[in-house]
Amino acid sequence: MEHAFSPYTDNGGTTVAIAGKDFVVVGGDTRQSEGYNINSRYAPKVFALSNGSVLATGGMYADAVTLVKTLGMRLEWYQFQHDKDMSSPALAQMLSTILYGKRFFPYYVWNTLGGLDENGEGAVFSYDPVGNFQKYKYGCGGSASHLIQPFLDNQIGRKHLDTQIDYTIEQVKKIMMDAFTSATERDIYTGDNLEIFIITKDGVTKELHPLKRD
Amino acid sequence: MAMVGKNCVAIACDKRFGVQALTLGMDFDKIFPVNDKLMIGLAGLATDVETLHEKFRFKVNMYKLNEDREITPKTFAHLVSSTLYEKRFGPYFVDPVVAGLNPDGTPFICSTDLIGCINFAKDFVVAGTASSMMYGMCESLWEPDLEPESLFETISQAMLNAVDRDASSGWGILVHVITPEKIISRTLRARMD
Amino acid sequence: MFLTRRIQTKDGIVLAVEKRSTSTLLESSSIEKIVEIDTHLGCAMSGLIADSRTMIDHARVECQNHWFTFDEKMKVESVAQSVCDLALRFGESADGEDALMSRPFGIALLIGGIDENGPQLYHADPSGTLTRYDAKAIGSGSEGAQTELQEHFHKSLTLEEAISLSLKVLKAVMEEKISSTNVQVATVTKEGYKVLPEASLVDKIAALA
Repeated sequence: MEHAFSPYTDNGGTTVAIAGKDFVVVGGDTRQSEGYNINSRYAPKVFALSNGSVLATGGMYADAVTLVKTLGMRLEWYQFQHDKDMSSPALAQMLSTILYGKRFFPYYVWNTLGGLDENGEGAVFSYDPVGNFQKYKYGCGGSASHLIQPFLDNQIGRKHLDTQIDYTIEQVKKIMMDAFTSATERDIYTGDNLEIFIITKDGVTKELHPLKRD
Repeated sequence: MAMVGKNCVAIACDKRFGVQALTLGMDFDKIFPVNDKLMIGLAGLATDVETLHEKFRFKVNMYKLNEDREITPKTFAHLVSSTLYEKRFGPYFVDPVVAGLNPDGTPFICSTDLIGCINFAKDFVVAGTASSMMYGMCESLWEPDLEPESLFETISQAMLNAVDRDASSGWGILVHVITPEKIISRTLRARMD
Repeated sequence: MFLTRRIQTKDGIVLAVEKRSTSTLLESSSIEKIVEIDTHLGCAMSGLIADSRTMIDHARVECQNHWFTFDEKMKVESVAQSVCDLALRFGESADGEDALMSRPFGIALLIGGIDENGPQLYHADPSGTLTRYDAKAIGSGSEGAQTELQEHFHKSLTLEEAISLSLKVLKAVMEEKISSTNVQVATVTKEGYKVLPEASLVDKIAALA
């Protein structure tokens, strides 16, 4: 039997990014799977970039790694040509053009980019695989995004609630961990560990939290 | 969607009636009372929802006449299951949810698939087009032993926020909380688009 | 030859050129020696004006490409550098690629604009050298003009003062009598690139005396 080759595979996984007044928290689980198999329990899909932004990827892992390499290269070129680090909004636009450049053989990746904008405020940019993007205050992508998005609408966007809250980093981390523990319960592609990146004007820090491994 | 509380259960549905992207009605309740302490919600193909509602009403009335007692939630769940399985190879396109109080006052909820495979849950059950969103909401908002008012707030928030992320649901929400004393029913206004 | 000069002030950039007319029948408004590269960039030129087409087009395309890719305005230095890179693309390259151009450009540019580092002025000459100035004069009569500039320029010039200084220097070194029709002045401020209308030059020139 002839088996047709497919250039795409979905390696699952979920990512979340939440912006605050002067910070962004970006998180992703570390499970990498293919169908009912788990390839790795620690394959990071959230990447800290050289300009202080953090890119969370979901979808096909190989495409994501290639994309991140390309971005790393372009960030370096930019720094040489213009003698400054690329800003997050500039990176956001560049990522869009890179993705659209492959409009007819796309990178099979759902990106969520976290960084500080031109005013030093937290910003989240969410993408589809061909580069359509928008700036948000929070966003999520990947296999459990359906489960997490309404939860973020409720807890961060304060939809259907009376009060608006400016969360601290600790509060945002707690909400994010709640979102992932819940998603891990119902989504088989999400689990093992939660890797969190915290972006402030002082730089990027990284944390690893355990999730259920079943 | 249905949820368990402390000596109470809640069941909620949206009010939209449509065929895929086309909205045809905005006042289509999908929850039907079975008796004072039991309700069934039917998401899915509207014609089957109507048919099954009538069928269950008939069967429950016959049960009451034959047995001279109210049907218990567990029995009713099995009635739903066998009714659906009768049509194993030409099923009703519905996703039923049952919520009620047992004779001893303990809460009962369950859901089935379209051919009657029952899922007894201790916490919550969901059904319909927004099920994945509702799972996400319930999994993070629900906690054990909620009092009726807290249960109402929890199921409302879960439902509202889940439905807002589903293009095929909406146009308001109906919530019932069944307690030993009474049934609290409220209509919630939501995004009307 | 033409006289071109440029001043950087804290409020913005002033560009001024003499439009020498070679004939009384020449329509002076058809001479354009200050052009816009982007909303935040202007360019004055001296030399073979036709060569500027290639360079200005290149600069404009670079700016638009940068905006398209990064959603931000290109830095003044980066634009000036990219123009200078182009200036060296003549003759065959070392790896035997076909020549892009047969000869070097015969034009010097003054590229001025505003970016996150404030107003800046760069001089790009035909050799491809890039130099930054507070005030610079190029073209015929530039020696005299540069001396004048050195004498009168100071970092706290306002934009208006810089405009009248530009005109004063032009007046001093021009062979013809200065008028609103034989000079062109443009400014680049936070609000963007703007060519001063002839009408406003009349008053400013009158005020010089």
